[in-house]
Amino acid sequence: MKLKDRVAIVTGATSGIGAASARLFAEEGARVAVSGRDESRGREVAAAIDAAGGAAVFVRADVRIADDCRRLVAETLRAFGGRLDVLFNNAGVYHPHNAIDCTEEEWDATLDSSLKGAWLMSKYALPTMIAQRGGVIIHQASGWGIQGGDQAVAYCAAKGGVVVMTKAMAIDHGPQGIRVNCLCPGDVDTPMLPEDARARGLNFADYMKGAANRPLGRVGTAEELARAALFLASDDSSFMTGAALVVDGGGIAD
Amino acid sequence: MPMKGLAGKRVVITGGASGIGAATVERFLEEKARVAVIDFDSAAGRALRQRHPDLAGVVEADVSDPGAVEGAFRELDALLGGVDVTINNAGISIRHDFMDITPAEWRRVMSVDLDGVFYVAQQSARRMLAGAGGVIINMGSTSGMNGYPRYADYDAAKAGVIELTRTMALELAPKIRVVAVCPGYVWTAMQEAEYTPEMKAAVDAKIPMRRHARPEEIAALFAFLASEEAPYITGHPVIIDGGEIAGGLASR
Repeated sequence: MKLKDRVAIVTGATSGIGAASARLFAEEGARVAVSGRDESRGREVAAAIDAAGGAAVFVRADVRIADDCRRLVAETLRAFGGRLDVLFNNAGVYHPHNAIDCTEEEWDATLDSSLKGAWLMSKYALPTMIAQRGGVIIHQASGWGIQGGDQAVAYCAAKGGVVVMTKAMAIDHGPQGIRVNCLCPGDVDTPMLPEDARARGLNFADYMKGAANRPLGRVGTAEELARAALFLASDDSSFMTGAALVVDGGGIAD
Repeated sequence: MPMKGLAGKRVVITGGASGIGAATVERFLEEKARVAVIDFDSAAGRALRQRHPDLAGVVEADVSDPGAVEGAFRELDALLGGVDVTINNAGISIRHDFMDITPAEWRRVMSVDLDGVFYVAQQSARRMLAGAGGVIINMGSTSGMNGYPRYADYDAAKAGVIELTRTMALELAPKIRVVAVCPGYVWTAMQEAEYTPEMKAAVDAKIPMRRHARPEEIAALFAFLASEEAPYITGHPVIIDGGEIAGGLASR
């Protein structure tokens, strides 16, 4: 087992890549704090992990709120014996708008969940990791944090910020034995896709056909992203820090 | 820890007799893959065979010679009956000032580090396209992304490898995934020959993780990318450098 006896927090774990990662981390031996805003879905994810023989707790938290982040870390430490080995900052929202159409509320929600939330969670998780002389932080970025995308001005700004914040944190905390990397998915088959299709006024089948237009000819699965997160979380990537691991079927190689 | 789906895979590793290549041979043998090596160094190749009797074979060839590469792959056909994973690892570097690089030195570095990657990749892809597909992993370097004084030829070759990787990935998808691995400083005999202890300490101090990589850490990344843990990763350089180029000189 790649994460035996480690303790992990996964934010945005009530669905999609977060839920798949929480399940996989638990299968690989980690005790997992499943976090998100939707209590009923979150409790289902945690209960399914417990039922499969793993160890999980659900902690309701909105990563846009500093007090929630502080409490999520504290409750995780309390639940799992004071350790914290892996923080996967996966939570994020997406509103498909250009600079004119994007409302201030949408801008703030996007930046606060993906960028500020990842920073806040790191801020409260790092002291424990540093005291342990080791830990791993994984931020959820995006291919659109490296290249631009259409109708995604706030999302691109947030994810571009995450990619460079990853590097900055890697420089600061490498000497303390903390590795910080980010994942850059392309389109992944999660509830975010039908939501995006609806918001863009597109038929879902047409939308998916467009999304599959990349070298590997399909969108990714949440499980595939979870596998990449597991690699970054495990000792298999022991010399990787400050990196952006692109998992997009070749989408931005073009 | 083992990676999904590598057991039984036919794996070709160039430059597999020493350094990162040898560590990669060990890793894929641990994964229960069938491993064959191409290396130009016959003595190192023989020593490798002695250490690992479970190797499918060691073929002596210089990857910079397209005829030799073609011949090596014919031998590999007999040994393995095809290729599922190619680790295009062979490479050389020469430490010299830009103003001192001779045309012969320039050609030598390009011919091993870039031409060789192309020859081996094309021979591999031919077999993978005719079969069930596969994975080609090319050895890039942070040298292909940043400048490093005294390695102008090496830097240029590695930048070439990264672009070759992207275009190969676009043309060969979906049957073949193509990825580049970009290590920073790795402590191997090649590095040891060029560095004094003082130089090593100075390098370690500027890397956020404060050390060189161990060859087996690069091997672990090869194993991950070649495996079914990474079926959606293609067309990208993956940096493994302890944070070295996250900042660079301007970061401090």
